[in-house]
Amino acid sequence: MERTVTVVPEDGLHARPASKFVETANKFDADVQLGRADEDDLVPAASMLAVTGLGVGHDESVRLVAEGDDAEAALDALEDILSTPEAKQ
Amino acid sequence: MDVTDISTITPLELISLEEPPATKEGAIEFLLDLAVDAGRVDDRDAALDALLEREGEATTGVGFGIGIPHAKTDAVSKPTVAFARSAEGIDFDAMDDKPAKLLFMILVPAAGGEDHLQILSALSRSLMHEDVREKLLEAESKQTVQDVLAEVVE
Repeated sequence: MERTVTVVPEDGLHARPASKFVETANKFDADVQLGRADEDDLVPAASMLAVTGLGVGHDESVRLVAEGDDAEAALDALEDILSTPEAKQ
Repeated sequence: MDVTDISTITPLELISLEEPPATKEGAIEFLLDLAVDAGRVDDRDAALDALLEREGEATTGVGFGIGIPHAKTDAVSKPTVAFARSAEGIDFDAMDDKPAKLLFMILVPAAGGEDHLQILSALSRSLMHEDVREKLLEAESKQTVQDVLAEVVE
């Protein structure tokens, strides 16, 4: 399953939001990948290096693709992080 | 502004093949001092504060044995990337627990907009390739390191 989400945090998918995002992606029994919404390429959401490499900024959209038992729960949790202006501590 | 001119961003004097201190903070200061000695930093304390503040927010140990401390600060007047590597590896608080062996410090002027993120993402994308990491780990001269970095930002 997949969904497209707009990145709300001011700094984009960097620093604390990115860290939180990767941590969360690692928690679920699901294989999650993400990419820029306007591109076909996907990278592993569980890799900080890969997520940093995407360079996604504030107000840009990303596509999340998840497979596995927890796919939907993983997407919900990750969407929540991307939709929260300041990542929760 | 052109952030892809590697000889401007990372002149040879910003590349070290010496073993840095074994702690994260020590290594960050080591990288910073490369830039300070090269005359690129107007205010060392301000630059260090900015780097450590960013580090406190979330680690720049991005995994795969790579650490990329970075900051936007008026302590520099042009985008600056320093490189060092550690044969031993340094605990950079990476999520994959791998010690950092390749270290890059990115400093860009506060008014530099998204320059630092552009450099950061270009660097991260290329470092996902094992052959790029290998070349940097094995480079025997600063020139070789700079050549690899030139390909990275192209």
